[in-house]
Amino acid sequence: MSVFLSSSFIHNIFGGLATGVIYSLVALSLVIIWQSTHVLNFAQGAMAMFATYIGMTEIDRGVGYWWCVIISVAVGMILGGMTERVLIRPLYGKPEINPIVVMVGFLGVLEALASAIWTSTTRNITEPFSQVYYQDHGHLIFLSAFVIFQMVLAIGIMLLVAALFRFTKLGLQLRASALAPEVSRLLGIRVGRMLTIGWMLSAGVGAIAAVIVASGNFGLFPTNMDGIFVAGFIAAAIGGLESPMGAVAGGLLIGLAEQFILAYWSPNVAPLGGIIILVVALMVRPQGLFTKRMSRRV
Amino acid sequence: MNWWRAFPRQETTNSRVVGVAILTLIALLVTIVLPPVANSELAGGAAIAIVVLGLSWLTGWSGQISLGNSGFMAVGAYAAGIWAHHHMTTPVIFTLALALVAGGLSGLVVAIPSTRLRGPYLAGMTLAFSAAVTPLAQNFTSVTGGEGGIFLNALVTPSWFAHFFHGQNASINANAQWTADLSVVVAGIMFFFMANLFHSRTGRAMRLVRDNDVAAELMGVNLSRTRTVAFVVSAAYAGVGGALYSLLQESVRPETFPLTLSITLLTLMVLGGMGTLSGAVIGGIIYSFSANLVAHVNSLTGVNPTSNLGANMQGIIFGVLLILAMLFASRGIVGLVTPLRSLWRVVMSRRRRLRDTLGTTQ
Repeated sequence: MSVFLSSSFIHNIFGGLATGVIYSLVALSLVIIWQSTHVLNFAQGAMAMFATYIGMTEIDRGVGYWWCVIISVAVGMILGGMTERVLIRPLYGKPEINPIVVMVGFLGVLEALASAIWTSTTRNITEPFSQVYYQDHGHLIFLSAFVIFQMVLAIGIMLLVAALFRFTKLGLQLRASALAPEVSRLLGIRVGRMLTIGWMLSAGVGAIAAVIVASGNFGLFPTNMDGIFVAGFIAAAIGGLESPMGAVAGGLLIGLAEQFILAYWSPNVAPLGGIIILVVALMVRPQGLFTKRMSRRV
Repeated sequence: MNWWRAFPRQETTNSRVVGVAILTLIALLVTIVLPPVANSELAGGAAIAIVVLGLSWLTGWSGQISLGNSGFMAVGAYAAGIWAHHHMTTPVIFTLALALVAGGLSGLVVAIPSTRLRGPYLAGMTLAFSAAVTPLAQNFTSVTGGEGGIFLNALVTPSWFAHFFHGQNASINANAQWTADLSVVVAGIMFFFMANLFHSRTGRAMRLVRDNDVAAELMGVNLSRTRTVAFVVSAAYAGVGGALYSLLQESVRPETFPLTLSITLLTLMVLGGMGTLSGAVIGGIIYSFSANLVAHVNSLTGVNPTSNLGANMQGIIFGVLLILAMLFASRGIVGLVTPLRSLWRVVMSRRRRLRDTLGTTQ
């Protein structure tokens, strides 16, 4: 068993899944926003990065790691809600290009602000768990406490989000206002508030992804979520932008693909893995691999 | 009741030739009086204007958004750079033509899976493309020079042009003006072709596809072919602009084409006015002034330009402008001017009508 666990193939599987859960989280956060407001939030990564900076720099003042995580997520949620209210709400009913352009602009502002405030040098955050791989009778097992923490946290958040949408009254209201805003409004759901809550939830999930990224080897720098956002978007697009399960599966798939390209070809071209998968998936099923709806709105 | 519609503004190929030619001539005359620094800024602005025009055509006329035009720029720049590095004596026009073809081909490659996508999917797909170009350039070091890039010295001032310059810094002045003139002429040619393309059969079909794709399909317009053509043309323009930009910079490096460049291009397009020639010109002018503008804002607000905030001021200003323009004036500077122009036309035609009426009664 231990020989099996220490083979390089298994190493790559673990590595791929560890990256994949982060992509899944980002993809999930994109799907939440897409479902509620039909906006693809291009600033999702940057918003999460910004929230993480605000939370994690509290470490310098002697605040404990877990408090910093909570601050990051709270700041992320506030930022998400405010973004919906201020930047997105005036654009409902406008051409679909408009919110894309606005969020791209917001991405630029956040990244420039972050490097203005905190400089663009990478900041390493003391990880809460060791990154050293476990050993079994002298064989390395390619799992560290940090990787386990990363996977458990990510999967826990996903289950939490799923439970919120499926089993709570708030989740029911959120789903109803995404599916049929007019009817929901007639039934007494405050649809506008639901949209804001959707954005807050999504930004919170994104902030957790950014916290995990910043705590790992990657570190925290103003553009650290760019590549991760692209991978997360591709994951969500493979799933069709509508399916949370599809987004999670897509994220894991891209994580694995990148890890294998990295191991067997070259680390520089690893981002290509996601793009190749996206192109193939779009050629086979342009509406996404996991969507049920076959026709598109005209 | 729209009686003024009886006086449509005549826009023919001739008037477009004249318009672009006059603008090009004015720009050429301006380069004579400008100092060398301003000339090189103007040259950069002309190169960026070509890219903005390509993006404007794609987004404004065919309704497809692209965050990948910085990637197409990189493809054109590398094609031109690699060629010019090995064949020093090739005329610049040939190098730029090569960049046009290379950019167009890369546009075709992206368009084939993308034209079935709309809105956000398309934007994400093109974003993924532009994110992939930089790692590719860094990976194939033997061809692209990797992180360090390729150094170029292809824009040599011809001796007949240098003869006009005398005195101190003659060669610097000659060089700056030559590169500016060259860029302006290339931009003029590209704008002329686009002016005709706007009003061609494809251009009109494209506007129909943007406004109502179902109606377009019923009229017999091939949707995916029209969208593909839009992409190829836009990418070819980005290729030429990127190649010209790199020739001016005298190097091609991966870091010249970051994600923020796509944001800058979007900002320039939206600020100028989507889907218009004059919008792209305004975008190019804003780009050539942007360094001065940022310095001005820094001095107004008392920010030290070498500090962190000062160094990132451009990103902040461009992002904020993009958001504000999209929220409050989504048709850009041209959109602010158009109502004035139509008001002027109404007044003029009313006067003409009045004069005609008076003329017949007297």
